[in-house]
Amino acid sequence: MNTPNLLSLNLLKILSLFVLVLFTGSISAAEGGPCKDYGDCDDFNYSLNDTESLQRGAAVFLNYCYGCHSLQYSRWNRVAKDLNIPEELFAENLIFDSSVRPGDLMKGSMDKKASSEWFGVAPPDLTLVTRSKGDDWVYTYLRAYYEDSSKQYGVNNLVYPGTAMPNVLAGLQGNQKLVCKNTPVLGKNGGEKRNENGDTITKEKCGYLKVADGEGSLSQTEFDSLIYDITNFLVYVGEPAKAERERIGWYVIFFFVIFTTLASLLYREYQKDYH
Amino acid sequence: MQEKDKTRRKVLIGLTSAVGLSGIPFAATPFIAAWNPSAKAKASGASVKVDVSKIRYGQQIQVAWRKQPVFIVRHTEESLSGLAESLPKLADPNSDSIDEPYKNLSPTRSQSNEYSVLTGVCTHLGCSPKYYPEVEPKAWDASWSGGFFCPCHGSMFDLVGRVYKGVPAPTNLIVPPHFFDGDILTIGEDNGVA
Amino acid sequence: MNQMFSNIFNWVNHRLPIVNTFERHLSKHPVPKKVNFWYLFGALASVVLIIQIVSGIWLIMPYENTEEGAFASVEYIMRDVDYGWVIRYMHTTGASLFFAVVYLHMFRGLLYGSYQKPRELVWIFGCTIYLAMMAEGFLGYVLPYGQMSYWGAQVIISLFGAIPYVGESLELWVRGDYYISGITVSRFFALHVVALPLVLIALVFLHLVALHEVGAGNPEGVDIEAHLDDDGIPLDSVPFFPYKVLNALVGIGVFMTVFAIIMFFFPEGGGYFIEMANFEEANPLVTPEHIAPVWYYAPYYTMLRAIPDPLGGLIVMGSAVAIFFVVPWLDRSNVASIRYKGIYSKIALALFAISFITLGYLGTVGVTEVRKIMSLICTILYFAFFLLMPFYTKFETTKTVPDRL
Repeated sequence: MNTPNLLSLNLLKILSLFVLVLFTGSISAAEGGPCKDYGDCDDFNYSLNDTESLQRGAAVFLNYCYGCHSLQYSRWNRVAKDLNIPEELFAENLIFDSSVRPGDLMKGSMDKKASSEWFGVAPPDLTLVTRSKGDDWVYTYLRAYYEDSSKQYGVNNLVYPGTAMPNVLAGLQGNQKLVCKNTPVLGKNGGEKRNENGDTITKEKCGYLKVADGEGSLSQTEFDSLIYDITNFLVYVGEPAKAERERIGWYVIFFFVIFTTLASLLYREYQKDYH
Repeated sequence: MQEKDKTRRKVLIGLTSAVGLSGIPFAATPFIAAWNPSAKAKASGASVKVDVSKIRYGQQIQVAWRKQPVFIVRHTEESLSGLAESLPKLADPNSDSIDEPYKNLSPTRSQSNEYSVLTGVCTHLGCSPKYYPEVEPKAWDASWSGGFFCPCHGSMFDLVGRVYKGVPAPTNLIVPPHFFDGDILTIGEDNGVA
Repeated sequence: MNQMFSNIFNWVNHRLPIVNTFERHLSKHPVPKKVNFWYLFGALASVVLIIQIVSGIWLIMPYENTEEGAFASVEYIMRDVDYGWVIRYMHTTGASLFFAVVYLHMFRGLLYGSYQKPRELVWIFGCTIYLAMMAEGFLGYVLPYGQMSYWGAQVIISLFGAIPYVGESLELWVRGDYYISGITVSRFFALHVVALPLVLIALVFLHLVALHEVGAGNPEGVDIEAHLDDDGIPLDSVPFFPYKVLNALVGIGVFMTVFAIIMFFFPEGGGYFIEMANFEEANPLVTPEHIAPVWYYAPYYTMLRAIPDPLGGLIVMGSAVAIFFVVPWLDRSNVASIRYKGIYSKIALALFAISFITLGYLGTVGVTEVRKIMSLICTILYFAFFLLMPFYTKFETTKTVPDRL
């Protein structure tokens, strides 16, 4: 193999640097991203093997959300089966419409025409919301409501400014407000700036979310955990086969690794004929 | 080539082929399984539950199961005891020539002594027979003692769906799998009695 | 028993040249004895083609090619059909890997001068296959009828509108309606499922026949036909079976491992194989925030966006694909392989590769001032690779190609 000469080496170096800058410099500014005024969406890690979390999430969803939002591609009996809930128990506690049969699709309980008149837009179906918007997005959205007297329902949402959805879980969370905090001013090296006396210089920054303790029936951690469960459940509903897919995947990869190894040994054996 | 090499080759060929071929049934599984009835098919083919307590005595109602009509008839004691009258007219009074699921359980041919559960499909060419429970002379039978008359080609069945002699239909109306749980009749599955 | 089979076989073989064809084109077909992994991508492409056809057939069964039913039918496949999700992901993973493999296959062509005489026609058939694949991929992506299916179709069909005089009527004619609707979906369905696969299969067949007529190349650019043994078989060749078959088997093993990793763990490809917006049903009243094509069209999308005039953008984009066809006549080097070409070819190819990848990246992100400039620079570099080729290949100092492999 030839080695390119010095000029071309330098040329390549410069171009690669350019490309590198391009890639790294492109991390989108926090406020232009999917979580809008909130900044970067909070990280969400699903755990589809945590059946209890999924069960809690299903229960909360069916009690608080299913009144308006349908899960029209999901079937009742599939959810019961995947979440290890006996069908009768499921029907008794979580199916509030007696005309529903276990094999039916979860078409929702609100008439779309009526709801678009009431809310301005029909509450969207949520079967695929974690796939179209992202599970991080859903998790952050449900926790980013705050009081805003200028809006129709008295609330606004940092992740989806101007949302037509009221804060359904306000009773559980309490009323979140946008507050201003005195935050330390940071210098160029990331350290806190101090005045002559050695005290940290602070500046008032607004746009933080805060719930007063004890306002909602759940504590902050409990509420976050609830939202985790709902989001986890929605991740499941978005793709019920996900857990099985990841489980089977290991076996398939293992098979192909074994096969490739054997094929490679066989190939090398025959290569001896002409090498 | 040395003997050792020859054996090595044979072993490697054998192993690789074995592993490779063993993958085929697994690879074929999704394609074969995809032809099974889907959840949608299973849902629409699922059992139907009916509350039979609201049916009046002597009345017949009709429900759909697997795209077929199923007749549910609530008999009176009178009509049940009148079954014997039509016996000589019947081609197969004991339902011997068909696969009768609840044979000899009850004169109603079902799992209940009060209700009959019958597939409303004429065994001739598939029309839906009509329910004529009144014991009175009819155009198709001067000594009609109640039953079903199929308008397409004139087949006749008694009140529990047994076919008359000398009509186009060859066999009795089919009894679908079913079971009773108090007042709730489930059509499409039974509780293992059959 | 054996005698009977043997007789039946001979009866058929006498009337249909099974043994002859099998030996000439498969088992005994001579291939260069020393090639590298770059030469596996052709075989891999045919494997993916088969995967796409089989998984595609199974997808047609439950799919509904109507405006009302399409999106829901895909979810039906994912949930209600037993293992439907396997077949769906097989098809989407196959689509992306088809392009990945073909791009690498084309790059091998550029690396080792596989397009040079006498293989120009093999190359041309190949470029036509690429063109057909681009159409096939576009049509297929519309079928799930998600937001990106709809709006991507909207963008591409409106390109037809940029053509002077006939543009608007052409747009209407392609759509079959005044806006993208079920009429568009069902005709795209027919093209994607029947028309283009037939075209692709025919082209692949021609591609292989043309290849077999002149024989495969090798990384050294040596003409193995120049030295034959007493039977007329090239000395530097080995029969296809078992040597190349075993080589291909290893390649297939590695490829399927990658396929499985993607299919079972990253089927959406981070949003590049199945775009997030496509999990929302098509809504003509709501435009997604970013309309981006799937990754394999991204380089050309960048070029389209870099040129402000729609017709100009269409022409540049079209030329970028068309120019591949004439490479055999742009390359005036006396050697085939990059190993023996001069320094200019090496720099040019490296810059081409970098600019192609950068163009691809730029096509998947939003537009900024810096990125606009980068897009233009990379487009220029892309075209420079081809347009300057007659010059730098003619005037650079090449090395002597060995006689034998």
